[in-house]
Amino acid sequence: MSQRRSSPQGAKSKKARPTGWQIAMVGFFLFYMFVPILSTYVFSVATRWDRTILPEGYTLEFYQRAFSASYFASTLRNSLILSIATVLVSLLFIVPTAYWVHTRLPRAKPMLDVLMILPFGIPTVVLALALVQVYNFAPLARSPFLLIGAVVVYSMPFMYRPVSNAIQAIDTRVLTEAAQSLGANIFQVLKLIIIPNILTGILSGSLLVFATVFAEYTLTSLIVGARFKTFPLLLVEFTRINGNVAAAFSVISFTIAWLVSLLILWVGSKGQTTKTETVQAR
Amino acid sequence: MAATRTTKRKAPDWLGLAPFLLFCLAFEIVPIIFLLRGSFIEKSTQQLTLQNYLDLQRPIYINSFVNSIKISGISALVGVLLGTLIGYAIYRWPSRRVQDTLISLSDVTTNFAGAPLAFSFIVILGMNGVITQFLLQYLNYELYPKFSIYSFSGLTLAYIYFQLPLMVLLILPAFAGIKKEWEESAQSLGADTFQFWWRIGIPILTPSLIAGLTLLFANAFGAYATAYTLVQAKLSLVTLQIGYMIAGEVRQNQAVGMAMAVISLVIMGLSIWIYQMSTRRARRWSKA
Repeated sequence: MSQRRSSPQGAKSKKARPTGWQIAMVGFFLFYMFVPILSTYVFSVATRWDRTILPEGYTLEFYQRAFSASYFASTLRNSLILSIATVLVSLLFIVPTAYWVHTRLPRAKPMLDVLMILPFGIPTVVLALALVQVYNFAPLARSPFLLIGAVVVYSMPFMYRPVSNAIQAIDTRVLTEAAQSLGANIFQVLKLIIIPNILTGILSGSLLVFATVFAEYTLTSLIVGARFKTFPLLLVEFTRINGNVAAAFSVISFTIAWLVSLLILWVGSKGQTTKTETVQAR
Repeated sequence: MAATRTTKRKAPDWLGLAPFLLFCLAFEIVPIIFLLRGSFIEKSTQQLTLQNYLDLQRPIYINSFVNSIKISGISALVGVLLGTLIGYAIYRWPSRRVQDTLISLSDVTTNFAGAPLAFSFIVILGMNGVITQFLLQYLNYELYPKFSIYSFSGLTLAYIYFQLPLMVLLILPAFAGIKKEWEESAQSLGADTFQFWWRIGIPILTPSLIAGLTLLFANAFGAYATAYTLVQAKLSLVTLQIGYMIAGEVRQNQAVGMAMAVISLVIMGLSIWIYQMSTRRARRWSKA
């Protein structure tokens, strides 16, 4: 985010304290962002919380019930399979393509940008409907393979942006030519020169795709449904069966999202330090 | 693709893109073309027809478009207004660390859509929700049955949850584009704060505000999981209707679903297009 560097108001400002309306706005924002999430955390460990302001007691029973729910292990496994497979397929298609476009085919960049913005313009239900209609034959019809294709399309921009930013930050053309003049072939260039240099972007993109796909509900439920039940499907099912257990599932899902976000931030900060280090080395 | 044949010299360069383009073709372009074609075809006779679109005049479909447009419009408008104010408060916040934390928070929470979020809103604003109880016991205010989390107003509150941080992220670079010197020059020429914002600030922000409005609109229009978890059959929305048709829960002509999908594609496409145009305009200022 470029605005972080270009907002030095605070540093120079005479009054170092935020004004009343600023505190009110930010306070409102924090209230809106945290109250639903924190309430769900508390609800998941509350024995009963529908008659009083604070819970009547605390228990871990609902986590026990969540973990022992039939399907719990298999849905978690399915979610992991789907997320990891999507990350791998996405890496395979996006990283070489982003590299190629930046280095050899800058003319194709606008077209790639359009292809990357397209998923935002297609509602997930519409994508699901279209894919189900076209691929109505075995072995693709309503299969996890079709689902992987769908979620790769849907999560494409999340992989492309960080990778493409990382590629833009280094001079791939010069690096490629230098390596090639020393006798490296294109695969060696990618493996030994380009990928190590854009690792931060690749990691951020992979984590973003992982988090997005892990929480994906629409495509999964509409394309494969009960045949390949993932964690979000189990969660929605439980919102109708048992609210407390559903809260425990929600907490698990929020916690994973927070952890992955922290990891992305951490990777990003690592990336920044290496960037300044290379600048200093020059 | 045609370039591969016409200009031999460039062939290897274009070939490098082939795997990715084929993938997009298979999972993005071809399905959408099929959808478009299918929406104009009468299923039993395989003849071209407009009937699928005419069928959308039934009240249930009209209703779902009205509801979808209304909820997307309202949540986008509220998101833009509040998000801009919050964004400005963050932009002017004296501590860099607080700014960074709030930006990171927005990054995370804007992705908190879907089932877990919808369930969180049931926890706080459901019939026995935390806030519902608080209002009842401390302020003696009965939220139900006037309000319900399972209704239009409830769903709007849940949508605003992911709209707010998205707008904050969108508007912050726009504030950075308003140079401090401009404000100072305006002041030295005798303009007060209101005049500065009315004549300079808001016109500079306008492309970003339009971009925000259209992106947030599209964001809400395409949402499905949150609505599915919260309102289901209680409120008819375009995405929910299409979902029912795929799942086969309603015995409807699938072609009507395709027509519905095509219209929502047009609505989304227009929004994203205006969004793109406005961001391009907005970037002019942040570069200056």
